[in-house]
Amino acid sequence: MAIFNKSIGIRHLVCGSCNGCEHEMNALAGPDYDITQHGWDIVASPRHADVVTVTGPMTEAMRVPAQRTLEAVPGPKVIVAIGDCAVGCGVFAGSAGVGAGACVELGATIAVPGCPPTPSMIKAGLLRAAQALGGPSQPAARDDSMSGSTKVGSTRCTSERAG
Amino acid sequence: MIKGEIEVGPAAVRTAVAERLEHGSALGAYASDRGVRYLFIEKHGVQVLSARVDSSEPVAAVSGTCPGLSWDEREMADEFGIAFDALPDARPFRPVNGELAPAVVATGPGVTQVVVGPVHAGIIEPGRFTFSSGGETIAHLDFQIGFSHRHLEQSFEGADPLDLAPRVARVCGACSASRSLAYAMAVESISDARIADPVHIARQIVVELERVYNHVFDLAVCSAAAGWGFGQAVGLGLKECALRICHAATGHRLLFDAIVPGGVRDGVLDDREEVQTLVVMLQESVEQYVRAIFDNTSLISRWSETGTLTYDAARALAVVGPAHRASGGLVDVRDAAPYGAYRWLPIVAAREEGGDVLARCRVKVAELRDSFRIIHRAFEHLGSRRLNRSAVIPPETGDTVTVVEGPRGAETVALTVRGTVVERVHFISASYRNWPAVAHATTGNIVPDAPLVNKSFNLCYACADR
Ligand code: SF4
Repeated sequence: MAIFNKSIGIRHLVCGSCNGCEHEMNALAGPDYDITQHGWDIVASPRHADVVTVTGPMTEAMRVPAQRTLEAVPGPKVIVAIGDCAVGCGVFAGSAGVGAGACVELGATIAVPGCPPTPSMIKAGLLRAAQALGGPSQPAARDDSMSGSTKVGSTRCTSERAG
Repeated sequence: MIKGEIEVGPAAVRTAVAERLEHGSALGAYASDRGVRYLFIEKHGVQVLSARVDSSEPVAAVSGTCPGLSWDEREMADEFGIAFDALPDARPFRPVNGELAPAVVATGPGVTQVVVGPVHAGIIEPGRFTFSSGGETIAHLDFQIGFSHRHLEQSFEGADPLDLAPRVARVCGACSASRSLAYAMAVESISDARIADPVHIARQIVVELERVYNHVFDLAVCSAAAGWGFGQAVGLGLKECALRICHAATGHRLLFDAIVPGGVRDGVLDDREEVQTLVVMLQESVEQYVRAIFDNTSLISRWSETGTLTYDAARALAVVGPAHRASGGLVDVRDAAPYGAYRWLPIVAAREEGGDVLARCRVKVAELRDSFRIIHRAFEHLGSRRLNRSAVIPPETGDTVTVVEGPRGAETVALTVRGTVVERVHFISASYRNWPAVAHATTGNIVPDAPLVNKSFNLCYACADR
């Protein structure tokens, strides 16, 4: 049973993303990155989630729905900022029309920079979330997506924006 | 790409728009400090109809007769204080202080309402769907956006037009290359920059790759929404192959920043043989995938007569792109007002009559095949020629409208430069144009088919919200 601990349920929050990060998140459901092989799943209710992934710099209209979603997720929970915008260093950072990203605004503790990060980088970030919740320590991610970078976990953006 | 501009008084806007619609299709409308502008795609270019606005006379709203422009007029009213007469839907367009206007609902015996969103049960952008249904049948769907509004147009004002390119590329991730192309064309047009033929050809390859990955993805999600797991898995696998080709071609899986004012980024299409080989492999797999789709009778039956959008409804709602062509429409910007390499390397426009999910998927299959043909032909014409960037020097003042055919339809950029900086830039995305049609096409269907109808358009929220 130990290998299925922690079979994380993931709830996804889009807070002003350009949809680029969503395209790469969507790949996690495809055959190349298939997260269900680790017992992970994108869940249909925040009540079923252990991990909340967040993209985008944050918008006015998403502040309340984002807070409500986080409140609905039972503890222990981990918040993962996906992409430069959510990490707080995207192209729109500092613009008056957007917020400061999920690390600052929602207290995300794991950062996956990239614009967008590749599916492999996102998987590596999710693995760190599973580990933080007491899950497996074996790295499961392998980068086949031709990205030049697999760096995960820094709160500063990679200089290379290529996704 | 402006082929003509007509100016009328505010009270004459409604009749003048009705006249223009005899000649072409509406691209949208927007306001600036100078007044309002309605844009149309016609043979050989964009026709502009403008009206100066003053406080004494309201603008005669067109959304009563052309409901497709309702969002545009509500946005003009909210953001530029334009006074309209007879606006049929005068609710604030976007959330005010984070709160959306109340949804329009159907009422009556046995009719119930269900609200979905803004947070959805998957990897989906935020929007609010308010379904009114009687039993299983959807009586009305009100779809409201604004959750991804980043105030981008305001924040772009005052910027150097060249510096803006990476931010324009990130208005929306799924149509980034098409928008970057329209934006580059706008900057180049007002700067009188001449772009070399090989660069035009390279850009054609880049934007057709964008169409390929999006259309393959659409087939995958239409399979998923019809409950066909195999089709979803194969489609997502093929999309991944397409994204890796995009990376091999441009250094970015979603083609961000590949097209820049003046040319293409350094490194784009450096390894042409590798990209061509990968495209041939993908094309063969896509053909097998398409065969599997059309061999699946139960899938085809689920796609048939679901989410039907009639020709008249598509026209009234100013629908663009594959959805327009699946409802008998004839306009493809690449064909109607060719730009770049499409001027001498033309497309074969796809067309279907049915207006249902099946027709939209058929149009996308035909366009996928044509994209592969276009890409191969472009590589032949490109040969080993170098992709030199041209100098672009933004002028003191300039104003233009450009439009390209993105994966979901017309992607329009209206750009005004004054004092060498951006005075106003407005983006009308194909998703912005088509969302009202999704709500319309869903009405009358059963609730479980709503995601399928939605996915057959597969629109973005980011470029509609901006
Ligand atoms: S990080 Fe990049 S890809 Fe992700 S939402 Fe921001 S701009 Fe889009």
